[in-house]
Amino acid sequence: MSLILNGDEVEAGGSVLDAVLAAGIELPHLCKDDNLPAIGACRTCLVEADGRIVAACSFPASMAKRVDTETKTARRIRRGVLELTLAMQAERGDEGGPLAGETASTASREGAAVDRFAVRTGRAVDATSPFFSFHEAACILCGRCVVACQDLQHISAIGLAGRGRDTRVTPGAADTFRESICTSCGSCVAACPTSALRPRGGAE
Amino acid sequence: MSQVAGLPLRFRFLPLLHEAHTRDGWLSREAVETIARQVRIPLAEAWEAATSFPEFRFAAGGGDGGGCGGLSCVVNGAPPSESVHARCRFRCFEAPVSGGEDDFPEEMIRLAGRLLAPDITGWDGLRAASSMGSARALDMIDRAGIRGRGGAYFPAARKWRAALGQGRPLALVINAEEGEPGVFKDRAVLCRRPRRFVEGLAIAVSVLRPAVTVIFINGEAAPARRSVETVIAGAGEVFPGGVEVVPGGGGYVLGEETTLLNALEGRKPAPRLRPPYPVESGLFGMPTVVNNVETIANLSILFREGEAPFLDPDPAAAGGSKLFSVSGRVARPGLYEMPLGTPLRVLLAAAGEKDGAAFAAVLAGGPSGGFLPASEFHRRLVPGLLHPTGAVTGSGGMVVLDTTSDLRAAVLETARFNARESCGKCTPCREGLPRVVESLAEGHTEGLDDLLEVVGAASLCGLGQMAPGPIRSARHFWPELFS
Repeated sequence: MSLILNGDEVEAGGSVLDAVLAAGIELPHLCKDDNLPAIGACRTCLVEADGRIVAACSFPASMAKRVDTETKTARRIRRGVLELTLAMQAERGDEGGPLAGETASTASREGAAVDRFAVRTGRAVDATSPFFSFHEAACILCGRCVVACQDLQHISAIGLAGRGRDTRVTPGAADTFRESICTSCGSCVAACPTSALRPRGGAE
Repeated sequence: MSQVAGLPLRFRFLPLLHEAHTRDGWLSREAVETIARQVRIPLAEAWEAATSFPEFRFAAGGGDGGGCGGLSCVVNGAPPSESVHARCRFRCFEAPVSGGEDDFPEEMIRLAGRLLAPDITGWDGLRAASSMGSARALDMIDRAGIRGRGGAYFPAARKWRAALGQGRPLALVINAEEGEPGVFKDRAVLCRRPRRFVEGLAIAVSVLRPAVTVIFINGEAAPARRSVETVIAGAGEVFPGGVEVVPGGGGYVLGEETTLLNALEGRKPAPRLRPPYPVESGLFGMPTVVNNVETIANLSILFREGEAPFLDPDPAAAGGSKLFSVSGRVARPGLYEMPLGTPLRVLLAAAGEKDGAAFAAVLAGGPSGGFLPASEFHRRLVPGLLHPTGAVTGSGGMVVLDTTSDLRAAVLETARFNARESCGKCTPCREGLPRVVESLAEGHTEGLDDLLEVVGAASLCGLGQMAPGPIRSARHFWPELFS
């Protein structure tokens, strides 16, 4: 199966994002873990496929003939989504897990303005686990920690409770991670693309 | 607690939550955890699912105040929805309303065609379909060109063939959530013409032979649920495999079918990625047909009266009638059954002006549609877009504003509704819509068009994708409104 990607014919079997990354093209994908199925929540991997804006992470390459990652429209909309994402963060540090700082570096690469929207975020901190802490002010609700905990580890200590603007990462129905069924396996920290989930002992 | 044959235990999660919520008036953590253990759903997953239904409360006492914040109530003098808990009580025909749902009043059926004619007796349509056999029955549905009345107008026969073509046991799911403010047609059919619907369902079952048949019904629509359950119970031999009636916990986003399937599976009600499409992998991975109540009821007409009622010489019309829910500032609010393709002005003339005030605008298609000014009332109510800025026929909800109405407040109300009903899964909808509301409320519309473009193009599902419609259309037709 082949695909015209930014003008070049490439072989493609999986998702459009797979093809894009295999071709060495940079494209934001904040909620897509390399080793986990697509979530489709962050909407930062938008590209133009045959004239339509689609999320590359979940769009099968076999359904597209021609994909362009850098059209004016795709860039403008990606930038807009990233600007909304940045406005969720009062903390954009890169201290934390291996991917911390991914949001900020991605946004700056795409030319997103940090101040298009006023920042509004929760400020809850949960430092009750001896191994990691959670900082809501850095969380972008991408859902990677949830997939890591529920689908990869099959522990299900973390979930996205509530809906709409009230959605937040919580240790299930528990008030704190210490009271939850968390086993401190570290998968959520490793999956977090911001510094919302940080190992303890480092900067907090 | 009985397990539904062939389905995982977790299918019982939502009905058990609904039962506990109805019994106690709220859901405690302990109640959710107990149910989660019973149906073997991990705790965090159960908690995130339970807390995502807008009608479930998680604190004792208080109640929801009884008021209604739907647009039809707001234009009829109710306070804006920020001040009440309810998003809509779906009794828009008697706005402003308060309190829970009642049986749909017969007198609110203002104009009846074949579908709303006095309810049927016997199962003649079912007998006709059964004697034909699946293949010929499908051809007949195809020839009649029946399209989905939930608002997307997808050809029913194509959807059914796609699911049957998977060659695996399939699921039939009827979406009776009806969570759009200003729409009350499914409740009317289920309350007043339940046999019409049940015969349609029996025909669908005889053609599709599903392994499981589910009616997902709005959790507050108790009268509609009781009515349909009574008819199904009395029709025993017609449903050899039984029918599961599942009450939900509300949410406009349940109109998005993968969200509905997640809710039925005891998961967080948020949209799935497509592909796979429900016809390929829907309820618990089964090929799944999701149809609206009105679509199914039309099958009863087809197999009793043949294709003739559906064959419109005009190819733009999908054929057959449509149930229009008319509310807001009209003299005779209620349900009107008219041919698809009827001009909007004909529908409005039937509903009549209230207190002599001239019609000023119609919100066509609800929060996912758009506003139309009087100069556009000549447009025919055909499937799809009525105007490029957003108005759609949709599921037939028409909220009418007149010269006494505050259009600006109506647009704001619609924007607020979409922001509140966002499931929160994807960033542009969850983060963008509240900022759209602020921009409108404060009258700072600089950059608003760009933001609407982002929300519309980047959102994961139809809720966010279509949320710009009411705002875009209002700004197009009344440019001075927010300046």
